[in-house]
Parts: sequence; structure tokens; C-alpha cells
Amino acid sequence: MGKTADLIVVQKMTIDTLHKEAATSRLLVGFRKWYYNACGFNKIGLMRDDTINEDSDVKEAIRRLPEQVYNDRMFRVKRALDLSMKQQILPKDQWTKYEEDVHYLEPYLEEVVRERKEKEEWAKK
Amino acid sequence: SMKSKTRLGDGLLVASLENYSPVSKIGVFVKAGSRYETAENLGVTHILRLASNLTTKGASAFRICHGLEAVGASLSVTSSREHMVYSLDCLRDDFDGVTEYLINVTTAPDFRPWELSDLLPRVKIDKAVADQSPQIGVLEKLHEAAYKNALSNSLYCPDHMVGKISVDHLQQFFANNYTSARMALVGLGVSHAALMKVGEQFFSTHTGAAAPGAVYRGGELRVQSGGGLVHALLACEGAAAGSAEANAFSVLQRVLGVGPHVKRGSNITSKLSQGITKATAQPFDVSATAFSATYSDSGLFGVYIISQADSVINAAMAQVIAVAEGRLTADDLTRAKTQLMADYLMSLESSEGLLEELGVQVLSSGTYSSPQTVTQSIDSVTSSDVVKAAKKFVESKKTMSCYGHLANTPFVDEL
Repeated sequence: MGKTADLIVVQKMTIDTLHKEAATSRLLVGFRKWYYNACGFNKIGLMRDDTINEDSDVKEAIRRLPEQVYNDRMFRVKRALDLSMKQQILPKDQWTKYEEDVHYLEPYLEEVVRERKEKEEWAKK
Repeated sequence: SMKSKTRLGDGLLVASLENYSPVSKIGVFVKAGSRYETAENLGVTHILRLASNLTTKGASAFRICHGLEAVGASLSVTSSREHMVYSLDCLRDDFDGVTEYLINVTTAPDFRPWELSDLLPRVKIDKAVADQSPQIGVLEKLHEAAYKNALSNSLYCPDHMVGKISVDHLQQFFANNYTSARMALVGLGVSHAALMKVGEQFFSTHTGAAAPGAVYRGGELRVQSGGGLVHALLACEGAAAGSAEANAFSVLQRVLGVGPHVKRGSNITSKLSQGITKATAQPFDVSATAFSATYSDSGLFGVYIISQADSVINAAMAQVIAVAEGRLTADDLTRAKTQLMADYLMSLESSEGLLEELGVQVLSSGTYSSPQTVTQSIDSVTSSDVVKAAKKFVESKKTMSCYGHLANTPFVDEL
């Protein structure tokens, strides 16, 4: 087998994998982990939902957070601002891990958006 | 008009009265009044009363409000010490569309924490308005002084619980009290078949909790609040609703007088009124009416006096003692019975009054007595029944609550 043949085999294998396996396949998860670490916000101890751009929907969703979740969010943001000012990052063992990142704001945000859309539907009638 | 009543398998009572009106009125009566609050969740019924328009599992708050407004319907909640009543008015043709809101509100509320904290200003306004009214104050204090539990709970959230009623409190109270067996679905101007279909959607998996009986203790509460007048409410334990004794107390109440029947009249037929005007030289700041309240297992009966002079309370008592000693003419008795029957029948003239009467009767006794039956039972009250009722007031342990400028007001043991 020549190099081209190897390449073709590898290519065929990758394409087959992508087609056959589900979204949570080992390949995609691996890619996601790499991307998460490349984003870099986990190095200053933040979670994905801490970094979301605060438009009016997000502001309302944050208002609805239960008290502990809100306090944890504020702590993480303060710590990140402090580190950013000092131009430092956390030691590697304190970086937020991909598995530990909880999308805590998502259910509240979905509900806020659903309510806004309901209001817009009514206004159209 | 056609009356129908059925009890569904899960205990829900469905009753309807077809009056061929263009407006339908549906009420859900739940045994979830303030008497069912426990020491841990005092004030939860006040919050529930205000929370009827909040998001439910089937419809958001926005949709309930706009959906009802779009068809001109209205949903309101009233609560008493024993019952919570959700009543929905709509045009007959819109009946099918709006019942889903009523079902959602009474069986599947969501109790979202942020919506509940947004209710706080409304609780405070309710309490501020109640504080301004000495009538409400004296009535709440009377119940607090008269009973050890259950009926002593206030209709308003106590100060120490404002802001502290949590989602858990609400969910627990809901699970314990909003069960099908403790609910009655009553409709005016609806067909019984349509109402039954609505009733079938009231399935409930809650088991409910047992409620304690009310224990009368007879006490005294006085609130110094300045002002020129004293509001005093003096009561004894009366009779439970629906009993023959309750009818006797109601007739006695009319014998003593419940307020002028002619506007700006001098209230000649009221024994209390006539008695106290002779006792004091301040005729314009004085008013005495007989007070009667009945609950499912107890009741209160007494006199409510607004005055400046301290002699008025004793004068009012003297009038009741006079009746207890048998000084009751046949004319007085007939007049009182006629007034009571007229008041009762007139209250049934409005759809609100009729719905309330239907619902409370169906929920407490499982049946509905026609107005004829009620007027007959009033008519059967004899003079000796009334005298016995007055004697009971004179001899039993009394409760008193006073509100106002109390420097000269006698204590209950000094009367």
C-alpha cells in the first residue's frame, strides 16, 4: 500500500466515523474539549454562562436565578476581574474543567425568550 | 331553573343551576381558608389569594391575563376563614375557551420564586389598607382572642411572615388542601353536562391533610390607636352553620338590630340603637349592631358598638339581657323573622350572592337547600329559641376586642 492509499483509507475511515456516530461521539467530544480549553476563560475560573453577553433577555434570566447560583456567579466574575487586572491566571488544577461546566443560565434564558416570543405573538394578532 | 348535583369518583362535587342567563358564572370552592394555616405557614392564604394570576403549568401569567381579557371574562379570588373561592365570569358562548385557565389556576400553579417576590408590594398594600380600617381590625382581633387555633388565624399575612412565605410553604399548603375531595365546582348559567366535562379535568393526586377543629377560649384584645371613637366587639360562642341554633341566633341578631333599613333613618326598630341613644347624649357618634358569624363547627354572636362614651357598652348589654329575661314581644319576633327572610332572599338576587350560597352549601353539607326550605326553617324559630340564645350570650364566657381611644372602655370582666 502506498502513502496515497493510506491517506485514502484514513480519509474513508474519518468520513465513515463522522457519518455513523452520534453527536456525542468520542471524536466530537474531543474536539469540543479542545475548543473549550482554547477559549481560555476557564483559566480565570469562569463558566460558559458567566461570559454570555448581557442583553435584556439575559439580564432578566440573571434576575431569576436562585440566590446561591447568583452569588456563585458574582464570585467567579469578581475573581476573574481581579485576575485580569493582575494579568495572572489560576494554577492549572483550579481551571474550570469541561465536565464541570454547568450551563446554569440556559433553562432560565430559554423561559425568558419563550415568554418574550409569546408576547410578540399576541401583539401581532 | 334546573338544579343538578353530582359527586365525581375522586370526591369533587359538581353542582349547576341553569338560569338561562347570557352570562356564565363558574366558581371553584376549596376548603382552604385561613383556618387551615399552621403555625409555620401563617399568611400563606393571603399570598395564594394574590397569586391566582401567576404562571401555571398549562398557561403563563401573560396568557391567562390576555386570554381572559380578549373574551371579556374575569377571574377573581376571595377567601374567607374557611373557603377559597375562585370565580370566573364569561359570556355563555366563551365558556369552553376560558375553563382551561380556571383549571390551571386551581390545580396546577407553578409558584415561581421571582413571581412570588414580585407579589410582595401587593401584600404590603393589602395590609396597609386593612390597618386603616378599624372594622377589619376589630374583627380580626375578635377571632384572634376568641379561638385557640384554626379560626384565630388572620385573613392577612402577619408582619413577621411578610416576605418569608416560600415556594415550599405554598406547595405544601396546596398539596394538603387543594384536593378534589375538598373542592366543589359550581356553575350558574351553564349546562350540567358541560360542567361535568370540566369537573373531570380536576383529577388530583394530592392526599390532603386532616384539619383540627376550632377551640373557643374567650379572651380579650385591646388596641390603643387614638382617634375619637372606640370600636368594641363583644361576642360569645354561637352556633355552627346550618344548625337550628344558628337560625335562632340570626333571628336574635335581627331582633337586636343590624343597622338602619331606611337610609338616614333613626333606626326605630333596632333595640340596641334605641337603648343606647337613651344612654348617651352623643347621638351622632354612636352605633350598635348585633354581630353574628357562623363557621362549619362553631360561630360567634355578639354586639358591635362604635361610640365615644363608656356607658354605651353597658347599655347595649342591658338590651340583650332584657331579651334573655323574656322581654320579647311577638311583634318583635315576627318583624325579625321577616327581615331575616327578606335579607336572605335579597342576597340570592345577585349572581354573586347566589353562587356563593350555592357553593358554600354544597361544599359544607354536600346538598343544596332551596330558598323555600331555608325560609321555612327561619319561620320555625320560636320565641323561646330566641330567649335561649340571648341567655347563652349573657351567661357564657365572652370575648371582647376593642380598637381606638380606650381610656374609659370597660374590660370584659367589668361588664
